[in-house]
Amino acid sequence: MAGRKPVEWVKLDNAAKIFPPTSNERDTKVFRFVCELRDVIDKSFLQEALDKTMPLFPFYRTVLRRGFFWYYFESTDLVPKVEEEYKLPCSMLYHPNRRNLLFEVTYYKNRINLEVYHALTDGTGALAFLKTLLYFYITIRYKDDFKDGFPVLDYDASISQKMDDSFLKHYTDNRIPKKVKITRAYRIQGRRFIDNRIKVIEGVMPVKDVLNLAHKYGATLTVYLTALFIKAIYKEMPARSRKYPIVISVPVNLRSYFPSVTARNFFATINVRYNFGTSGDKLEDIIEEVKDCFNRELTQEKLQAHMNKLSALEHNAFMRMVPLILKDTVLRFANSLNDRQITATLSNIGKITVSPQLAPYINIFSCFTSAKRPQIALCSFQDKLVVSFSSPFTGTDIQKNFFRFLTNESVPVVISTNIKEI
Amino acid sequence: MQYCTHCRVKIKGENTVCPLCAGILDGKGDSNEEVFPFIPTIYQEFNLFIRVLILISIVVVVASFAVNIIFTKESRWSLPVAAGVMCMWVSLFFIIRKKNNIAKTILWQVGVISILSLIWDKSMGFIGWSIDYVIPSVCVLAMIVMAIGAKILKISVRDLIIYLLIDAIFGLVPAIFIIFGWLNVIFPSVICVASSIISLSALILFEGDNMKNELKKRMHI
Repeated sequence: MAGRKPVEWVKLDNAAKIFPPTSNERDTKVFRFVCELRDVIDKSFLQEALDKTMPLFPFYRTVLRRGFFWYYFESTDLVPKVEEEYKLPCSMLYHPNRRNLLFEVTYYKNRINLEVYHALTDGTGALAFLKTLLYFYITIRYKDDFKDGFPVLDYDASISQKMDDSFLKHYTDNRIPKKVKITRAYRIQGRRFIDNRIKVIEGVMPVKDVLNLAHKYGATLTVYLTALFIKAIYKEMPARSRKYPIVISVPVNLRSYFPSVTARNFFATINVRYNFGTSGDKLEDIIEEVKDCFNRELTQEKLQAHMNKLSALEHNAFMRMVPLILKDTVLRFANSLNDRQITATLSNIGKITVSPQLAPYINIFSCFTSAKRPQIALCSFQDKLVVSFSSPFTGTDIQKNFFRFLTNESVPVVISTNIKEI
Repeated sequence: MQYCTHCRVKIKGENTVCPLCAGILDGKGDSNEEVFPFIPTIYQEFNLFIRVLILISIVVVVASFAVNIIFTKESRWSLPVAAGVMCMWVSLFFIIRKKNNIAKTILWQVGVISILSLIWDKSMGFIGWSIDYVIPSVCVLAMIVMAIGAKILKISVRDLIIYLLIDAIFGLVPAIFIIFGWLNVIFPSVICVASSIISLSALILFEGDNMKNELKKRMHI
């Protein structure tokens, strides 16, 4: 009889819990990883590679459903199908009451796109999936090149390690945190596109040039680009808004601070604040402030405290007994409070590495996310740094400022975009 | 590749102006370099149907009020018309909201129709037709539709269990009507209670484990 086998289901991890109630057409909470190969993509080989990847990531074959108290992932028989890119970038993947997979693999010319709903996993988790997919795709497509042995897949984790809810494992304290003070940040306004599409501007540049620039100021790449971003926003800021600080939210991969190789969410965000009302507008000043902030926030203790704060709510007996309908409202409200404290987001995926035999087939990696506010995502592969700007607004002044800062320092930048008309 | 002399950036693909500063570009674009497909603006088509329906509703309500005032001043027949239109919208609202889950939609309709019929009955002097006929028959109808619909649409029993369970439990409510003797016509309620008991027992006997798992999954705290 059909349906005899009990259905597998798992709870959402701590970070994922905020996404289902707050995702909508304007902010889909979907992000995309792109891998540009040297050759044009072959659909059937990609499908074959995807079929081989799926058993290694059983957790990805799930649909998101509503229970009475919480959302949960339920395993499904749906099979992911590779398609040529046909939708707007980062369009909705989770529709309430509809059962579909929470990720999608598409291709366009020589690019493989992996789009993932954020409740499923974070950037690092998705990257592990994409790398596995690439491994299979390249070894299938160019199998004649691998006659003397296949390369090694560099993601080493058992299935239970991939499924691991690392928040649960690493949180230590379940006291409800004290009230947090909400400080309003400057918020960028602008006209949106009629169909809520995001404008993606992708800039490819040599990583060496940007690193040299950062080192000139004694900063790391992330600190330097965060400071540039703050300055780019400042240039467009109306004078009367200068009393509000510019706050850049930076997601941090907790796997670098706590032992975990999970393919699910495991990140926290820190806020980098800069107030032009009280501090100078020179790049050096901004860099110093950002550097201090990173040093202050990026310690194991601080991140642990941050994680405990978020986990405490989830483990609170009263919160758990509240029906999901009410939870949704509460979480939506909490999210809008949180939004008020953020001007923009910058996430650095970092240096992406693949095994040396696979590298010659790959041109660049790129990533960007759905955006309710201007958002920068950066990642580097070999000697190329890709800075992707996604924004819900039609205006491009901040993007222009940002890239012009770099080109004025004679960094060669190659731009591509998804929206042609201004 | 094109080049913008103001921004000093090279630009991939075919562009009319610089994506950053909207300035004039040097060089000729090459559409082969494009990294995103062109996707035309998407307009929400779905809303048109709803908008037409809303306009029709407004016309009906306004026209009936107008005719009522002009020709039949002594009666108030336009009020029930307006109430009827409103009920249709309440029902439609839940259908649209839950449209992706058929079993859920059906169950919500059972609830909505039951409550609305009670209100109608009450406001018309409580003749009793809502508990005599409407509530028992929507319960039975929902059970039949869910069972047949699941077969036709190939929905697995597991996905239906919860909804069948709730419907069957709701189907026991007319037993209260019978016990307290509120009914004028008894046979629809008897049929409803009987089929609820049968379907509940069938569910427990054949899908007991599934039901337990399903409840555990959906009610986890």
